[in-house]
Amino acid sequence: MAKPIKTVSTVVSRVEDLGNETKRFTLTDQDGWELPPFKPGAHLDVHLQPGLVRTYSLCNEPEDNTRYVIAVKRERDGRGGSNFLHDRVRVGDSFGVSLPRGGIALNPDEMNVFVAGGIGVTPFISAIRHLERRRRTNYRLHWTSRGWPVLSDMISPAIEAGRVRLYDTAMQPKPAIAELVQEFAGSGFAACCGPEPMLRDFEGAVEGWPDERKHIEMFTPPKRVAQSDVPPYELVLRESKKVATVVPEVGLLGTLEALGIDVAVSCGGGICGACRTRWIEGPPIHRDRVLSPAERQSELIVCVGDCAGPKLVLDL
Amino acid sequence: MDGIVSEKTQIAASWRGVVRFLHKTPRAFLPMREFPVLQLIAGRGIEGDRYLIGHETGFYSHKPEEGRQITLFEMETLEALRRDHGIELLPEEHRRNVTVEGVPLNHLVGRRFRLGEAIVEATRLSTPCRHIEEILGKAVFDPLINRSGLNCKIIAGGTLRVGDAVRPL
Repeated sequence: MAKPIKTVSTVVSRVEDLGNETKRFTLTDQDGWELPPFKPGAHLDVHLQPGLVRTYSLCNEPEDNTRYVIAVKRERDGRGGSNFLHDRVRVGDSFGVSLPRGGIALNPDEMNVFVAGGIGVTPFISAIRHLERRRRTNYRLHWTSRGWPVLSDMISPAIEAGRVRLYDTAMQPKPAIAELVQEFAGSGFAACCGPEPMLRDFEGAVEGWPDERKHIEMFTPPKRVAQSDVPPYELVLRESKKVATVVPEVGLLGTLEALGIDVAVSCGGGICGACRTRWIEGPPIHRDRVLSPAERQSELIVCVGDCAGPKLVLDL
Repeated sequence: MDGIVSEKTQIAASWRGVVRFLHKTPRAFLPMREFPVLQLIAGRGIEGDRYLIGHETGFYSHKPEEGRQITLFEMETLEALRRDHGIELLPEEHRRNVTVEGVPLNHLVGRRFRLGEAIVEATRLSTPCRHIEEILGKAVFDPLINRSGLNCKIIAGGTLRVGDAVRPL
């Protein structure tokens, strides 16, 4: 049986060394077809090789719909993704990527203030290019960097127009974030992406702001959308002799996929029955609309299923 | 019983529809692109589409299906989504190949009918999938249950154009 296609197939069409240990990669479809759409500041997972999946923000804007542009700073002591991209990836290489997700909910009318540290600027590059393309100037970017920042070429008109404030932290102290966002406390939107101390300062500065008016972008991979509202439980796969803990952020199906179990998922919403699986110990929580009460005594639709107890044993 | 059967036959034979939009995409997840003409290949699928048999690059290629060589969708469903649910679903967004008007797709399972100069046989109703919601960011899964289109195999191939007639055999 062929493997299911779960990623968007892309080809590396351009690799640029921007200096300061940063490379920019352009991914396109092999025939230049349009790619799945995304929102300003969205991110996606790049499947570099089995077991090596990394999440990066897109730098380009949604209107630029035939390419995904990511910028990667080498983290020599990181977990391996940036070193792989810097050392091994060449033009012509193929990678699967996830559908883009997330993005920045820009305020169309009020001021949008972005605070970025170094390579953390990537989602804001996307947002600024999107706004500039629409001739919107209701934003300001405060961007700290050691030396001249890489990627500035993607927002040159915004820098020239004075809508971007650069802080060279090799020459000057870091800005006080509370002061940068203070004037927008009553209205407007604020977002931050950068190293942890910067995020902490930002969180403190916008603590009293309503959630919809602030956005924090982490460097670490985002959690999957929760499919489950039950407490964590143990998952035991009898045939393959695998055990894992199902947490709400990953869900049952996500856990099975992480274990490398090739479940034949089709609709993903509990109505087609493609992923029906025999259960041995539970009781499971059924959320499908396909199994009869009798079938539920021994089967579970795993794309929407869960467990009501501490342990779920499946015949997989 | 005979009366019911003949009434059904009469209803099934009374419709006449038209092709409003044609779409295809070469690989899984990529946006559908509109075309004025598609080439239908008997027993295989649509030239250049992701589900062309022998060249599958679609989302479901882990379970190849002979009966999904071409997929159809009702224009009337797009109107119903707008009217009943306030959802604007565009012809390129439902991810079926052929958007038709005036064709009672749900009544055609197991039947053969003319699609332009081609002949197709309806194999089963399409089911909606969360994948579409994920791509579009529109909550269309529930409203599309039982009206998510029709899967067909191509009995006789040919050229299919926007504006072509769809009619019973």
